[in-house]
Amino acid sequence: MAPTTPAADDSHQQLLDQLDLILKPRAFRNTRWKPSQRRNKNIKQIVAEAARKEASVMATQDNSGSSTPNIQSSAIETGAATPIHMNGASTKSTISQAAQNLSTMVLERNLQASLSTGPIATYTNIESAPSLHPAHQKHYCDITGLPAPYMDPKSRLRYHNKEVFDVVRSMNQGTAEKYLEARGAHIVLK
Amino acid sequence: MTIIYSRYVEPVLTSEATSGKRSPKPPPRIWHAIDPPFKGYQPAPSEGYQQSSCDTAIVIDNGSSLVRAGWSFDAVPRLSFPPDVARYRDRKYNRTVSYVGYNAYADATTRGQLKNAFEPGTSVVGNWDAMEGLLDQIFVSLGIEGDNGGVGRPVLMTETLANLTYSRKTMSEILFECYSAPSVAYGIDSLFSYKFNRGSSGLIISSANASTQVIPVLNGKPIMSSVSRLNWGGYQGAEYLFKLLRLKYPTFPGKLTDYQAQEYVREHCYVSQDFDREMSGFLDWTGLEDRDRIIQYPFTEHVAIEKSEEELARIAERKREGGRRLQEQAAKMRLEKLVQKEQELEYYRDLQQRIVGQTKKETKRLLDEDEFKDEAQLDKMIKDMEKSVRKARNKDLGIPDNVEEEEVPSFPLLDIPDDQLDEAGLKQKRHQRLLKSGVEARARAKVEKEQERARIAEEQRLDDERRVNDLEGWLESRRASRATLLQKIRDRERQKADLGNRKSLASQMRMKTLANLASDQPGRKRRRGGDDDNFGANDEDWGVYRQVAMGEQSDDEEEEDLDAEMKNVEAQLLKYDPGFSESKTMAAQKDWTKSLMHAFLRGPRPFDSESQQETHQLHLNVERIRVPEVLFQPAIAGLDQAGIVDTAADMIGMSSPQDRNSVLRDIFLTGGNTLFKGFEERLSRELRAVLPIEASMRIRQASDPLLDAWKGAAQWSNESSFKLALVTREEYQEKGSDYLKEHNLGNTAAP
Repeated sequence: MAPTTPAADDSHQQLLDQLDLILKPRAFRNTRWKPSQRRNKNIKQIVAEAARKEASVMATQDNSGSSTPNIQSSAIETGAATPIHMNGASTKSTISQAAQNLSTMVLERNLQASLSTGPIATYTNIESAPSLHPAHQKHYCDITGLPAPYMDPKSRLRYHNKEVFDVVRSMNQGTAEKYLEARGAHIVLK
Repeated sequence: MTIIYSRYVEPVLTSEATSGKRSPKPPPRIWHAIDPPFKGYQPAPSEGYQQSSCDTAIVIDNGSSLVRAGWSFDAVPRLSFPPDVARYRDRKYNRTVSYVGYNAYADATTRGQLKNAFEPGTSVVGNWDAMEGLLDQIFVSLGIEGDNGGVGRPVLMTETLANLTYSRKTMSEILFECYSAPSVAYGIDSLFSYKFNRGSSGLIISSANASTQVIPVLNGKPIMSSVSRLNWGGYQGAEYLFKLLRLKYPTFPGKLTDYQAQEYVREHCYVSQDFDREMSGFLDWTGLEDRDRIIQYPFTEHVAIEKSEEELARIAERKREGGRRLQEQAAKMRLEKLVQKEQELEYYRDLQQRIVGQTKKETKRLLDEDEFKDEAQLDKMIKDMEKSVRKARNKDLGIPDNVEEEEVPSFPLLDIPDDQLDEAGLKQKRHQRLLKSGVEARARAKVEKEQERARIAEEQRLDDERRVNDLEGWLESRRASRATLLQKIRDRERQKADLGNRKSLASQMRMKTLANLASDQPGRKRRRGGDDDNFGANDEDWGVYRQVAMGEQSDDEEEEDLDAEMKNVEAQLLKYDPGFSESKTMAAQKDWTKSLMHAFLRGPRPFDSESQQETHQLHLNVERIRVPEVLFQPAIAGLDQAGIVDTAADMIGMSSPQDRNSVLRDIFLTGGNTLFKGFEERLSRELRAVLPIEASMRIRQASDPLLDAWKGAAQWSNESSFKLALVTREEYQEKGSDYLKEHNLGNTAAP
């Protein structure tokens, strides 16, 4: 960078101050807002967490059914079981039961909903499927992009003609690997 | 592909000749690398806030390439900036600074701290601190005063198709908790765009920055169970181009940035109508001038300062003057030396005189004084000195050194038997024998040289004779030798290349040899009992070191030889073979006008590697159609998904016949990645090819593929259905952060 004169430097700093968001009044922000430190997650993490949560909900639902002798609310409603009448004392336990039953009900309803309308679109399952169409198995030169009738068995690069082959053979392993990476055919070590 | 093309290329062999050719051609059109997209300071438009009421929504199209925001009554978004935030601690002023959008491109420091709010290559927010920065900037620029400690307006925001629950939840948390929004609604950008273009039943193909989505819509309701996403958009295209250019110019001196790559994709790429055919002819010479795009990066040419005639003369004069002075000094020194030598010679002669007639003892004393062993040595010394003095004098006077015939030295002692000689005599005899063998060897070498010369002359004569008598046979042999030479040169090149590769045969042999040499006790030798392995007894043993030495230094001279020999043979062929023309020589074969790689790397013009201007140029040619083609053939970029045509055709094929007809009647393109020239035509033609013959199909593009999403959202925010879709603060607090009201323009709630 060219050295800037003090005057120019100052004007640039003034411009930066004008642009700076921190110096602007932002009364609309809640001053007590303290976000979680770990809120930045990538898609992989989010999807994994969601899957784990779903699995654990399923598990608790199963367990609660088998371990608690209480009759499920839906069973009561449908008349499959006679309701048990609690006398007096244990209102607390009824509330907890009710809460538990509510979650079960929600789960049941969701299950029914998903059965009736088919699978719900999620971020991961809407990706389009791989193509099996033979017309799309065409090969193109990794270097020039021209149609490639040949493949170098050593580097696995596809090439267009003799001249490109010379280039392929003169490149080192790392470069060849980068070309493969652009085509997604490189070796990934795990 | 058989296009016969004609070029006006005279047999061009040297670069001087080709550069002369440039003058009749007009200079090529050159595009310049763009600067960072900094827009300068833009004052916030504030009058919008005064116009708005508590029911006026703030509409934000939260796109991963550009965030657009405005009031629901605006016709076009007031704000549009990239979702980049530079937030860092300023060392000089010791405070945190934050620049958002184009402001983040203000200078090198801010650019260095750039963070994108979205997870790379997706439309899912990944960096929530940056997202807060974006929202801050939007609300500040919209002039929101926040008197009651919040934004005080409903917020309508777009999100990606089938957004992750966590992502929406976090966004709601920020909007409700940090900005105290009274109510919030979400919708899908491409559905808004479709709504704005008054579509009700059709197939939306939205190719945006981070992905390409296909959404069937029936009677204004998206069929969420059959939507599909191809993970390729403008971002991936730019990234792909970036990768290709880095591979194409691995030593490019300029700095290629991602916003430049984006610009090149926008500016130079287009969708080919017949990719295979166009691609295979793309680097042909005909029209390459038009297909090749040159992008110039800033450079500094090393300018040779032009000196005036006068100055040049002065410099030459100064040089001559210096030379003269040096010569004078050298002459003076020589003279001094000569004088000294002559004095010495005089002294020794005097000594010789003095010795004559002295007793043996006295002679010895005199000689010892001057460190001579005997008289003979003194004589020799005087002789040598005389010779050198004469030589120096001749040189001084400029007389050519006439090579006087060296008298053949005689070796008289050699014929006398040993027993007749005393000790000194024996010594001298030995010396004479040595001298004699030297003289004889010289004579032999001379004779051999003569013979060799004669042999070569004879060979030449025979060769000429043969040529005259049997031209065809002679030419045949020459051609054969040219072929062998060519093979040798190729082999050498291959070997050289192989040496760099550890797995090549040459390298492995070398390794083996090294290992053998390094091991102290090879088992075989040990068994035989002897410690000595007899290495070196045979001269060929030493050849091992030649093998072990790494390529270059060992065969340098050989290399020269091969090339020179090749030139020689080719010159002969050129002279005598009528079928052998300039264009067939090796130099011509290497000519850039024939090279595909040259056309690929440097376009249709000669390349001068010395020119700073030309080394700072990027040539876009095949990339111009290669990059957009990925949407149609994702396998090109290693994406294991079906192309856009297959995906759309599958979706159409799976629907019921009446749905299919209504969907086909309106295929709707939106998103910035559909703006490529030829995109609509290609898609239409390829879809047509896979659809049943009787199906009628209509394809259209959004009136503004970039802004219609925002415009549609703004339009909807004035309708009554918007009010029903809003989640209020109370609902948020009661029903949780992942509560969502489903509507026809948004995602469905995940379980």
